[in-house]
Amino acid sequence: MRIGVFVCQCGTNIAGTVDTRAVAQRALDYPDVVFATDYMYTCSEPGQQEIQNAIAEHRLQGVVVAACSPRMHEPTFRRAVEKAGLNRYMFEMANIREHVSWIGQDRAANTLKAMELVRMAVEKLRRNEPLFASEVPINKRVLVIGGGVAGIQAALDCADAGLDVVLVEREQSIGGKMAKLDKTFPTIDCSSCILGPKMVDVAQKENITLHAYSEVESVSGYIGNFTVKIRKKATYVDWDACTGCGLCMEKCPSKKTVDRFNEALGVTTAIQIPFPQAIPKKARIQKDACRYFTTGKCKVCQKICPTGAVHYDMEDREVVEEVGAIIVATGYDLFDPAPYGEYGAGRYPDVITGIQFERILSASGPFGGHVKRPSDGKEPKDIVFVACVGSRDKSVDRPYCSGICCMYIAKQAILARDHLPGVNCYVFYMDIRSPGKNYDEFVRRAIEEYGVQYIRGRVGKIYPNGDRMVVQGADTLLGAQVEVEADLVVLATGVESSRGAKELAEKLRISYDQYGFYMESHPKLRPVETNTAGVYLAGACQGPKDIPASVAQGSAAAAKVLALFARDTIATDPQVAGVLESACIGCGKCLSVCPFGAIQWKTLRDGSRKADVLETVCQGCGLCNATCPPKAIQLRHFTDDQILAELDALCA
Amino acid sequence: MDTLHAHLEALFDDLELVIGWETGYEPLRPTPAFLRSREDLSRLVWNPLCAPNLSVYLPGILKDAKETGKKIGVCLKGCDSRSLGALVQEGFVERERLYVVGLPCPGTVDPEALAEARKSSAPVTHVSFRDGLLAITSRDGTEEIELERVLARRCRRCRHPNPLHADVILGDPVPPRRTEPSFSDVDAVEAMSLEERRAYWEEELSRCLRCYACRNACPLCVCRDRCLAESRTPKWTTQRDGVRDKFLFHMIHALHLAGRCTECGECERVCPVGIPVALFKEKMARIALELWDYQAGTDPAATPPLQTFDPSETGI
Ligand SMILES: Cc1cc2nc3c(=O)[nH]c(=O)nc-3n(C[C@H](O)[C@H](O)[C@H](O)COP(=O)(O)OP(=O)(O)OC[C@H]3O[C@@H](n4cnc5c(N)ncnc54)[C@H](O)[C@@H]3O)c2cc1C
Ligand code: SF4
Ligand code: SF4
Ligand code: SF4
Ligand code: SF4
Repeated sequence: MRIGVFVCQCGTNIAGTVDTRAVAQRALDYPDVVFATDYMYTCSEPGQQEIQNAIAEHRLQGVVVAACSPRMHEPTFRRAVEKAGLNRYMFEMANIREHVSWIGQDRAANTLKAMELVRMAVEKLRRNEPLFASEVPINKRVLVIGGGVAGIQAALDCADAGLDVVLVEREQSIGGKMAKLDKTFPTIDCSSCILGPKMVDVAQKENITLHAYSEVESVSGYIGNFTVKIRKKATYVDWDACTGCGLCMEKCPSKKTVDRFNEALGVTTAIQIPFPQAIPKKARIQKDACRYFTTGKCKVCQKICPTGAVHYDMEDREVVEEVGAIIVATGYDLFDPAPYGEYGAGRYPDVITGIQFERILSASGPFGGHVKRPSDGKEPKDIVFVACVGSRDKSVDRPYCSGICCMYIAKQAILARDHLPGVNCYVFYMDIRSPGKNYDEFVRRAIEEYGVQYIRGRVGKIYPNGDRMVVQGADTLLGAQVEVEADLVVLATGVESSRGAKELAEKLRISYDQYGFYMESHPKLRPVETNTAGVYLAGACQGPKDIPASVAQGSAAAAKVLALFARDTIATDPQVAGVLESACIGCGKCLSVCPFGAIQWKTLRDGSRKADVLETVCQGCGLCNATCPPKAIQLRHFTDDQILAELDALCA
Repeated sequence: MDTLHAHLEALFDDLELVIGWETGYEPLRPTPAFLRSREDLSRLVWNPLCAPNLSVYLPGILKDAKETGKKIGVCLKGCDSRSLGALVQEGFVERERLYVVGLPCPGTVDPEALAEARKSSAPVTHVSFRDGLLAITSRDGTEEIELERVLARRCRRCRHPNPLHADVILGDPVPPRRTEPSFSDVDAVEAMSLEERRAYWEEELSRCLRCYACRNACPLCVCRDRCLAESRTPKWTTQRDGVRDKFLFHMIHALHLAGRCTECGECERVCPVGIPVALFKEKMARIALELWDYQAGTDPAATPPLQTFDPSETGI
């Protein structure tokens, strides 16, 4: 093989602590190296041109670039060598920046290490083989998981572009948290007025298939061709027949059912439509509350239903959808304030959470929009808001900022004053975080126009005094203890990852951080992609976000899907596993470890069975190779022999 | 032994083949016997010298055997039965095609220790065993030697003298010498300093002939003639003579047995130059036990820990 070595100076990034000239010079001693040079910026246009010229001039068959991490520039250089007529896999990169120049100051040692890394790359390249991608057709349907505002936006954008969309929502209605909000910051427009039309659009678009009250059971396949099993949970009401008339709800005798949509502030019936604007507007029986299911007697709803939609013997059903891309928009859940025993949430009825207060403010809420306190229905005269309950607090394992609470507290205080002009609002806060467009102005309005009193400090304790609550805390600006008497205390509970987020991530094979938020592929440059090709993120499932950011990310994810679907086929990555049949003993260990189900059996003419890799399903993780005892299954471009050659070069 | 003969006699019509032990070139070394006719059954022997683990033959025999509906009978000691369990777990052996005769095992003899213990060195003409005593007959007369004095290393640490997964158990159960896993021999090596340990293994492994007897005797070395130690592509080891490649071969063997070794000790027993190679695998077995509370071959329905992908697995 005729190999050319290009050592990059990366300005002074590398040349500052590595003698790049010497590294290039030394490379000429390595086997098969016929050309070596160093260059100021190898990734620049002229740098790439230099590689291409050298390939032509020196009839190179393989190229090593010693520069930065392959993560950014390997694709750049692969394209460059390909343009000059080489196969893109006849290229190796030695990372002498992140692995050398940036981490050591000793120029002599660095130079030596760079030489060794180049030598390893040369030895690997000598064993490389040209690899070729194949093209597989793309199934241009998209699955959106989660019907909050982010998922709705993504689904509508995809549908507007003409794609077939499958939307899976685990609750009975789409809408997510936004459907529960009263008004939204920073413009104070009514949440259901702006979300409602979008929800209706979802129902009306013919190319959106909505599976509500459904969950993703399993996902198999790969970018362009996923197979998704969806479990449609039993609702005991035939949704094709149900017209959403609500007669059943009027007659159902089980009227003490906790109303989850109203955050347990009110009661509803066992058969229920969660809220008037629900999409789909269909009834469902909550089994544990239903008289028929608990005592065997009742069936009132079945008798009353004019379309005969109620079926007590309904069972979960599985449907299978084939899609080419997946957008995950499963949103978030809220911190349970129980660990803060001293705040008394759950113990005192008038200590509530922010989302409960949204329901109190809402005209469709449990009190019809009259601001009253849950205990006795009295109008509060003093309301205290406590920020950062389950945010920025290591002691409850929630060190991160939830991002939305400062803003929704200001909003709720303003709305409380709008509803009850005489009410006094106090806010205990750590810092005010309001960096969005018009956000800081909004908080200032709360303070200056609405007279909301901000007290900087943590709350230590909340306890009852007669029929009022006493909130005891520190005012760190005054350096004094303060006590505020209140009729109602609102805990701004923080954002946490959606319940079940990790299990779903395992099914999708995407990564999540320690708190269960999904990981984007690159925090700056690939914010909606995941590391699993064909799976994208939108909304608060990736981290705490407000509505504008969630909607923007919904549209961004849709744009990514549309870009993917702009082509008819997709090139597969040839860096996958392959089986050397003569060496395979048919032990099946690779089949059992492959996380992607990419290996199947194949029977040869002599009747023996051998492992066989489905190249389009294989993700190149290498588990099979590590497990295979005779090493019959090898990962292309990372074969044992290639890696052993690198080790030999290092140990030589 | 009479019960063994009688039992198999009675069943023989339903069996294709019986695998057991017979007297070899001398009574001290019984060898594996593959008996296809009723008359041959009388050749079977069973005593503490029946060392070979016969489960090693099962994958090959079952693969080649024609489906006649008849079963293959096999005699297994306690430790051998764990190997069978592991082979079943990994799908190399279909348990239902076997008739497993379990023989509670008093322990097997270390031939070196026996030679040491004997007063006579004359060729042995007869061996018998009763009440913990071996009676060894030669032209110099009969010597009685306590089995406990000449026990193989593997048997000193044995916790499974009574066979698992058997169709029938012939003989009374034997009280195990150990109830808890014992890794004292591994501990002894680990107590050495790094330099000492390296010197110890260099010295031991320098004797290795790469005859591969250890590998061939291992019931769980399932690659057979596709062994990585002899493969050219990929080329993990060379044929160069030197402790480096020998060491690598033994590391490969040990790692291939991680979470699979049933601690039968065959690898060590068959080594012609007496290298304690089972220590490597005992170390692996201990890790499997500590990490996953797993003992290979005890539960035929269990999935071996390294042969599954479980993303929620922690602590590794
Ligand atoms: C009290 C409060 C007030 C707020 N006020 C404002 C405001 O005024 N302005 C503003 O901009 N933001 C506000 N927010 C923030 C706002 O709620 C979020 O930004 C927004 O809801 C995020 O949308 P989403 O679609 O990402 O998530 P979500 O709204 O949480 O929607 C996620 C959806 O996915 C579904 N889902 C979850 N898991 C699965 C699964 N496994 N399978 C199928 N479906 C699943 C859920 O049921 C839900 O329908 C407020 C938040 C709170 C708590
Ligand atoms: S590399 Fe092997 S284990 Fe990994 S996905 Fe491919 S076939 Fe499966
Ligand atoms: S693990 Fe290796 S030997 Fe076993 S079936 Fe797979 S490829 Fe064949
Ligand atoms: S490695 Fe040795 S002790 Fe373990 S199963 Fe194989 S032969 Fe038996
Ligand atoms: S049996 Fe002994 S000599 Fe032969 S390969 Fe194994 S360790 Fe080496």
